[in-house]
Amino acid sequence: MIEIKNLHHNLLQVERLSIERGHTAVIGPNGSGKTTLLQLCAGIELPNSGTILIGGEPLREQNVGWVSEFPDRNQVFDRVMDEISSPLRFTHTKCDMTDLLVNEIAGRLGIEELLQKSGRQISGGEKALVALATALVSKPALLVLDEVDSHLDRQTTEKIQFILQNCSAPYVIQCTQNMETAAVADHVIFLKNGHIQHFGSPEFVFDSLRDTCFVPFSRRIKL
Amino acid sequence: MKVRMDNVSYRRGEWQLTADAVFKTGVHIVTGRIGSGKSTLSLILADIIRPDNGSINLKGISSKTLSLQFPEYHVTGYTINDEISSWKLKPTEVLAKAGLSGRGNEKTLQLSGGEMKRLHLTCQLSKDWDLLILDEPFSSLDCIQKQKLCRELESRNNCILIILTHEQNILPKVDYIWEMDGGHLRYIGEVAYALEKWDGAPGHIRHALSKGVLPDNIREKDAMEALCRMQD
Repeated sequence: MIEIKNLHHNLLQVERLSIERGHTAVIGPNGSGKTTLLQLCAGIELPNSGTILIGGEPLREQNVGWVSEFPDRNQVFDRVMDEISSPLRFTHTKCDMTDLLVNEIAGRLGIEELLQKSGRQISGGEKALVALATALVSKPALLVLDEVDSHLDRQTTEKIQFILQNCSAPYVIQCTQNMETAAVADHVIFLKNGHIQHFGSPEFVFDSLRDTCFVPFSRRIKL
Repeated sequence: MKVRMDNVSYRRGEWQLTADAVFKTGVHIVTGRIGSGKSTLSLILADIIRPDNGSINLKGISSKTLSLQFPEYHVTGYTINDEISSWKLKPTEVLAKAGLSGRGNEKTLQLSGGEMKRLHLTCQLSKDWDLLILDEPFSSLDCIQKQKLCRELESRNNCILIILTHEQNILPKVDYIWEMDGGHLRYIGEVAYALEKWDGAPGHIRHALSKGVLPDNIREKDAMEALCRMQD
């Protein structure tokens, strides 16, 4: 369970929120606090007040994977192999185990042929997959994705969503402007002006948002 | 007005862009996979990079502009007010239009991704352009802002508007469809006849076509109306 209590941080105010295991989509207008919520859950920022527990552990005590909207801005190493290995190397994982885990995740994501390439030689979609592999390689308890699909084409987005549906992280939190992506998540949070307006299953949240543009086409044609 | 690309080619390492095209007055949408060359095409059309071969001819065009995918590359003002003034526009009006009233003294680069995009597009679209090239104008915007942008784009007349995008849901009414495929620019055709030949068609169009109906245009409401007609 992810448990948030009495959280106050800049615009964001969450009195109480409990998120079960699974895939949670965070949606809402621009500037509603989505990225702030994700950065707090990932421990990139610490809250001004209040607590966040990830599986019972306080922030920064759990292994967290982060994938940014701009994957190349977070890239540390040039060679793809080194980039994906970096979370393991930074935690002093043995070399043979590092190689094993990197090859395993590259195989699962279908990017083995990129491992020896420079991060500058690969396309935007490939960069997103490399960032996802880097975030997943150390088997995080929480995987956070901040509008990763914002600059990707349909095919790459579908591939990433397929990987997320089958990934081992107990908690996945993804913010997106693509409501079709949110519609297949386990839970949806709708944020507005820093407050959680709706939280629950996609059916519940999109029913609450009826008559707004946030309802995805796939649900509208069923109404 | 007309933009003519004759046997244009541009090479970057192994990869090559080729284009032989005429963009007439109206709204053009260019789709294609990530890395297919849409952004490079937009830079060539805006004369920011020059092709290795071929020529580009702008006929009857006295003003042109390009909106880059990432709005921070356009920023020249420290505060939002400075940024708006750099476009020689009045801050109060632009702030209200961009939904940022009262925030003029905030730092431009501290806006959220969507807010910065909104600010940039509001400034750019406050002027008239003969040739308006928009590279991924919908990315980072929420659906409310995407709809607002569509209305704004649909209201522009007598210009050549080229939208390069992978947006799959909220789109404006367009006249012509193009696709970038592995670096090659391909003309798909005029709407609505071109829809059936369009590989990059968004989900709602593919859904309508799979039900045997042809929407009038590429918007979700066109697909909904076509599906409703089928039920009548």
